[in-house]
Amino acid sequence: MNHSADDTIKIRVTGLDFSYRKRPVLKNVTADFAGNSITALTGPSGVGKSTFLMTLNRLWEDLPGASMRGKVEIRLQGRLRDIYDRSMELTELRKKVAMVFQTPNPLPMSIRKNMAFPLKLAGERDKSAVNARIEEALRMANLWDEVKDRLEEDARALSGGQQQRLCIARALITEPEVLLLDEPTSSLDRHSTAIIEELLTGLKERLTILVVSHYLEQVVRISDRVVEFAGETIVSL
Amino acid sequence: MRRRILEKATVWFSWAAGLTLLASVAVLLCYLLAKGHEALSTGLIFGGTPPLRALLLQERVFDGLFPALAGTLLLIILSIAWAIPVGISTGIYLAEYADGRVKKALDAFFDVLAGIPSIVVGLFGFASAVFLHRHFSDRIGPCLLISSISLSFLVLPYLIRTTQAALEGIPGETRLTALALGATRVQNIFLVLIPRSLPGIMSGIVLAIGRCAEDTAVIMLTGAVASAGLPSSLLSQYEAVPFYIYYISSQYADPAELTSGYGASILLLMLCAVLFSAAYGIRKGLTHCTLYRA
Repeated sequence: MNHSADDTIKIRVTGLDFSYRKRPVLKNVTADFAGNSITALTGPSGVGKSTFLMTLNRLWEDLPGASMRGKVEIRLQGRLRDIYDRSMELTELRKKVAMVFQTPNPLPMSIRKNMAFPLKLAGERDKSAVNARIEEALRMANLWDEVKDRLEEDARALSGGQQQRLCIARALITEPEVLLLDEPTSSLDRHSTAIIEELLTGLKERLTILVVSHYLEQVVRISDRVVEFAGETIVSL
Repeated sequence: MRRRILEKATVWFSWAAGLTLLASVAVLLCYLLAKGHEALSTGLIFGGTPPLRALLLQERVFDGLFPALAGTLLLIILSIAWAIPVGISTGIYLAEYADGRVKKALDAFFDVLAGIPSIVVGLFGFASAVFLHRHFSDRIGPCLLISSISLSFLVLPYLIRTTQAALEGIPGETRLTALALGATRVQNIFLVLIPRSLPGIMSGIVLAIGRCAEDTAVIMLTGAVASAGLPSSLLSQYEAVPFYIYYISSQYADPAELTSGYGASILLLMLCAVLFSAAYGIRKGLTHCTLYRA
């Protein structure tokens, strides 16, 4: 593995150990991920793919019984930073390293409120700025034309595929540099899956994407690189 | 074959148990109505005083239940008002922050608190009133304030448990949604988890209201009296419907008095019904405005 201070490296993971309720999940994982690319994480279930994603935005810290050792650095605003360092603000990290889950998880509120939610968390009050960013993010997620006339409707009334694109748009509204997706299409039909794959391919111009996927076809179609997880460690292909 | 019989027997038993319960509630209500309907009139509530003048507090009601109803209503509102902030915060602490030994210890502690007989809570309230009377001020004695605080202790476990259970029942992914979008833990609790748990928390409040409305043991030791009129302050004694029912049914002089006891029971049930509907109405409104407001 190349350990020089290469400018193209977006994420660098060194000697990562992870255990959940004292059961080891990942052991001594070391990997680099290049910027503006799509990396697919594959492997059988239960080998720690989702866990690995959560070590990149520290979301595992909210799970009881989890513990981690090792170093994770992510290039944010052009500087490679240790995300477990004290100077790293957790909420800031999660805005820059956004995550989309397996099942679409819109909050029980309108489409507009869902989109505005991360901005509200950040304390943004300027309404016109919020609306502009909502439109921009929905356009990026190829959802604007479908929802622009129904922003006040309950987000849960959208189709599964639309809900997932809404979740992607909601993740994009904080202008992240890394987007983590945990099997984003596993609950969707073929058509919705194709739309999301196309969307992700378009997004890699702007950010670095890591996507966990079970489907080999999908992996081949959209990813620049495949990392396979196999029993506590990883095999890079 | 034996398994099928067992299977069927279980279903039948559950049905029978459910029906028995329904039937007993129906019998109870019918009995109360049959016995008490004669007493139900404005006279039962306002005595000889004109209702409007009594409601506007222009004239005192002497031989009616108006002061008792007002006392019970005030008592419920005060007790719930003390119990809600403490109970919900404790529930949040137990569900979201406590873990390991602390959680186990507190869990056991609140189970014990839930099991304390109300007469013991009442005795404790009485003892505190006496203590305060001796050491702080002659003006403090058994009163509305002491009663409501004692009652709030009695209902705290309901609120704590329902809040905790509602929060702990939220699925893991929902819990992580807002956190992954950059929410702090406190933001996650107040913007996502609490609004989602409101139905559960509200049912705890409804239980607590019922408990406050019916309890007699605590209030008879801490400030409820047979005749006091409307309470003039938190430090005055007061009348309460359950205490009136207890008092009248244990020492009635003629059948008419007993009938008014039944009438009072019906009024108490009606008061609870109104409060329950109010609680459900508030729950709907609250869920809506916490999740959907701008």
